[in-house]
Parts: sequence; C-alpha cells; structure tokens
Amino acid sequence: MPELGPPPKSQSQSAPAPGNPARAAGPGAAARRPKIVGFLCDWAVSAEGIVREDGTMRDLPNVTLIKVPCSGFIRPSWLEFALKNGADGTFVCGCPLGDCFNRLGNNLIQDRVAQMRRRLERQKIQPDRVGTIYYGLREQEQFVAAVREFSDRVAQLPAPPPPPPARRPAGVSPATPADGSPSGPTPAPEEP
Amino acid sequence: MTGVDNDRAAAYGMWIAILSLVSLVCVIGIAWAELTSTGHPAHRLLGGGLIGVVLLAYSFILLFLRKGGFTGV
Amino acid sequence: MYRRLLASLLRWTLRLDVGINRVYPADFNPLYYTGGLSNLFLTILILSGLFLFFYYVPSYNEAYTTVQYISERVPYGQIIRGIHRYSADGFMIVILLHFFRNWFTERFRFSRDEPWISGMMLLVFAGFIGVTGYVLVWDQRAELLVVMTGNALAAIPAVGGWLRNLLFGGPGLTNLLLPRMLFLHVGPAVLLYVLLWWHYVRLRHPKVWPPAVWTLFSLGVVLLLSGLIPAASQPQASPTTPPRQLAVDWLFLLPYVSLKYLTPLWLIVLATVIIVYGLYIPYQLPETRAEMGLRESGIAQVIDANCTGCELSYYDCPYNAIVMAPSPHPGVTKAAQARKLLAIVLESRCVECGICIGACPFEALELPHFLEQDVQAKVLTACRS
Repeated sequence: MPELGPPPKSQSQSAPAPGNPARAAGPGAAARRPKIVGFLCDWAVSAEGIVREDGTMRDLPNVTLIKVPCSGFIRPSWLEFALKNGADGTFVCGCPLGDCFNRLGNNLIQDRVAQMRRRLERQKIQPDRVGTIYYGLREQEQFVAAVREFSDRVAQLPAPPPPPPARRPAGVSPATPADGSPSGPTPAPEEP
Repeated sequence: MTGVDNDRAAAYGMWIAILSLVSLVCVIGIAWAELTSTGHPAHRLLGGGLIGVVLLAYSFILLFLRKGGFTGV
Repeated sequence: MYRRLLASLLRWTLRLDVGINRVYPADFNPLYYTGGLSNLFLTILILSGLFLFFYYVPSYNEAYTTVQYISERVPYGQIIRGIHRYSADGFMIVILLHFFRNWFTERFRFSRDEPWISGMMLLVFAGFIGVTGYVLVWDQRAELLVVMTGNALAAIPAVGGWLRNLLFGGPGLTNLLLPRMLFLHVGPAVLLYVLLWWHYVRLRHPKVWPPAVWTLFSLGVVLLLSGLIPAASQPQASPTTPPRQLAVDWLFLLPYVSLKYLTPLWLIVLATVIIVYGLYIPYQLPETRAEMGLRESGIAQVIDANCTGCELSYYDCPYNAIVMAPSPHPGVTKAAQARKLLAIVLESRCVECGICIGACPFEALELPHFLEQDVQAKVLTACRS
C-alpha cells in the first residue's frame, strides 16, 4: 500500500511551474520529469527487468534506483542529501509491512521517514517529496505504478525555494546528521 | 488511506451491529444454559460453544471496526 | 532443481500473502503471526492442561475413570478437555505453517540457522507431547499406541528393546507406564519454554503474540469446536479385549497410520531421515552472497571515535547482534566524550542488513564495503545524470 502522504493541496498547485526545471537543471530535465532517487531493498521488489544498467527505471527514465541491503539501512539524512543535491523527490521501497526479510527494517524506516517529513516541513521543503512504498518480490507492476504515481505527485508540487548557500561542497563530507532528533525507539508517529 | 469512506463505513457498521446482536443473543443463551443446567454436560456444552461464538463475533467486530475506518492502526 | 522448487514455492507464498492482504489490513495478516499464534495456542494448552492436571490420576485403574469424571461431573470439564484437545491441533497447524512459511521465504539464511534448529526441536517435541497426551487418556486407542510404539522401538537393532524398557518402564504394560507418560507429557511442555528461549535469543522485539483479532478468533474456534464436537474417549483399555482400530488424529498420529504400510523399522528410518533433513535445511544452499546476486557489505563495524553509547542500534538490531559494553575510554567526537557505554557487534549474529547504520544518528556504525560515502556517491551520480 503506497504511503505517499496526503495529496497536494489544490490551491498550491495552480501554477505547475512551467518554466522552472529542477534547480539542478540537469541536461534534458524536462519540467514535468522530476528527478527521483529511489532506494530499493534487495529483498523487496525484484529489480530484474525493470531497471536499466545505469540504475534508471526502464519505464520511468527520470527515476534512479539505488539498491540497499535492507530498507532499514537507509539513514533519513541520505534522503535529505538527495533532495539537497538536485533530486526533486526521493522514496524508499521495502518489503510489505510485517513481512520484512530482516524482520523490522521496513517498520523502522517508516517511522524514521514519518519523523523526517515533519522535520522537512520545518525546513520549508514539501514533505511530499519523500515517500515510502512497500512491495514484495513479484509485485513489479504495482511497484512501477506506485513509482509513477509518486513521480506525478512530485511533478505537481510547486518548485522549492532556492536552497541556502551551500556550507560545504557536496559529496565530500556526509550530510548533517539530522538535527539531533534521534530515530529509534521513539513514540510511533501519527500516520497521515 | 486517509479519511473515512462513508459508504464503506456504513456497510461495515451494519455488520458490526448485526454481530453485536448475535453476541447479545449468545450471551443470553449462555445465561439460560447455565441457569437451567441439571448437571448434565449438554447444557455446559451449549454454554461453552456459545462462548466460542461470542468470541468469534468479537473478533470479526474488531476486524470490521478496522476495515470500516473506525479505529486506526 | 531444489533451487527452482523453492523459488516457485516462494512465489506461491507471496501470492497468498498478497491475496490475504487484499482482505485484511496488512498488520492483521495471520501468516505474519504464525509464531505468535503458536505462543497463543501453547498458552491455552498450558492453562487448560493445569486444570486437567488437578483431576487426573496416572494409575492403571483410575486414569480412564478420572478422565470420564472430568468429562461428565466437573462443571465445564468437557469444554476444558475439548479446549485442550483442539488447541493442541491448532498448535500443530500453526507451527507447521510457521515452519513452511519460513522455509519457503528462506528465513533461515545467514546467522538465522539457530532459530531454525531450535524451531525443528520445538516441532519434534510438540509432536511427542501430543502422542503422550493421547496415551494418558488410557482408552483402547492409548493401548494401541503403546503397543505400536513398543513394537516400533523394539524393531531398532541392538538397542531397541532397551529403548522400549526405558520409555515404558519394562516389557509389556507395567504400573510405571502412566506416571512416565504423565511426566513425558508435562516435562517436555516445560522444555518447550526452554527451547523457546533459544528460539528467541537472537531476536530483538520478537512478535510473540498475534493481534487481538486473531487471539479472539482462535479462542472462539477452539471453544466452538469443543462445544460442537466434544472430545471423547474410546472404550476403556483392557487386556481382555484387544484394541482393533485407531481413531485417527491426523496431526499427531500420522506416523501410526503409516505403520499400516511400512514396517516399524522403515518408519523409524523414515522419521529419522525427515528430522535430520529438517535440521539440514539451513545448510542446504551454501550460496555466497555474490552467488545470490547480493553485494558483500561486510559485517557492521562500530567506529569507536563516534560511538556515544546511546543504545539506539542496540534497540533496533533485529538479531540482537549489538550489545552495549562499559566503555573502556571516552570517544573522540564531542558527543562521544561523556559516553558510559560502547556498542559492540557480535559477528556471529550479524547478517549485514545494515539496520544499525540507519539507527545510528552519530555515524558510529558502517558496513565496511558499503559506506555512507558510497551511497552518497550513488545519489550524486543519480542526481547529475
């Protein structure tokens, strides 16, 4: 079941950012083709047949998948790192909730992303740019459909405000460790 | 899943009401079986079986509460 | 061959999951809680068994009459007896589901062989407890079971007769038989909890109990069945009227049915082969991660300088592979200066899943061959492409 957060409010998407490609302005990045970085668990949806050699998805060339050993491996700061380095949206795909190969990894990342969405809101980044989806090994069609839906939703979001001046060169040192709010055995976050 | 789908909630609400009625009847049946028990196991069997029906009804009530959107995760 | 069979079984298991998740909310899927359901049935068994234990007398002459007394005279005795009988069947069903599900989804990989092996032992002992339970009733079926077990054991070359005397207290039916069976019914039930500890020792936050919906459902089914089909004994065992037929409980007495077609020795050989194969399952696929198409991330490493002893990875590691030890020296970073504890990774338990990396907000853990920089480099190439 895709947990992509509430749909974008209608009044805020009146202008679908016609002449405003992503601020990364990569070559050929069309306005309606947001750059999406997805983290894919090795044990969740099989990437066989839906991913090209360079990691982009066959049906959605604007989406790049990065395979990780478990969805719980992902630090929320990496999602922020992707957003701050030119990605318009980023999502995590894990096994179906309750059926994580490593028992609880997807529940953990669900909680962490829920906390992170609140944090993003404070930073004036639309939390809808971050999503979690959960599909099992053979649910490739549903997975592609969910990613497409996520991509469309991100495309409709208004362009983010210009980022603050970069304090450090990207990629040299790790992203800031998530303003100190720890992820872990904290109270369960409320669901959208 | 956001918000409550009213049609769905109504359908499940009806089932919850029916199951509640069933369990009420069963509770009356348990009381009756216990009050008229003569020491023969048959009445106790009826009572025990009806306890089972009540528990089953409760389990489905819980399920429908969840599926109808009345209770969250 | 085995590989392909397992793959198609996995496909069917997942398809079943998807189907169930269409009907139930995902956190109510009963197949995600087969272990918790086993615990539920085991608890029902222990409680109802305690009740029956108060009345049961394990003697040759009184066993049958006390069971009849429980059924006919004790208030709700027949119901409690039925609960004990049917929840035993339920217990067997859910642990078999647990067994097959974890087999088909390959949840025995890497360092998870210990839960698997303790689980196999739990399965064997559960079957054994079920059979001794059927003997305790001491009806004709019980007598037949004793005779058949004795014959089967005696068929083992060299040690067979000795084993039979050990189990039954002597050749033929002796006064020692029922007390022994009572002990072998209750004793291994306690042993189940010891094995459960072993089963859980490598798991953090195990799902030990099913959701309320399924607790109520299982209790309800068990009670309803014990009301509808009262658990009954066959006629009393007596040496003068030898037992003829076996009323079969397929879950526990299947081996005895097969004695119709197998000689006792073959049955014992077959049972041994099945059990040994079950214990061998986790080692049957000696594939390395590379052969499985996975990266070699390496066992998680604690970065001593950064660890603050905050215990977050300790709480989140799904396999209890991280323990907190008193810190021998302060860390280097500011946050790690005042630490009292230091995280330590137990290598034998680590499956390289990296959940501790996601848990650690201080960058004090890493997978040596899949570092944070590697992920960030991949993110950057993805963003720049």
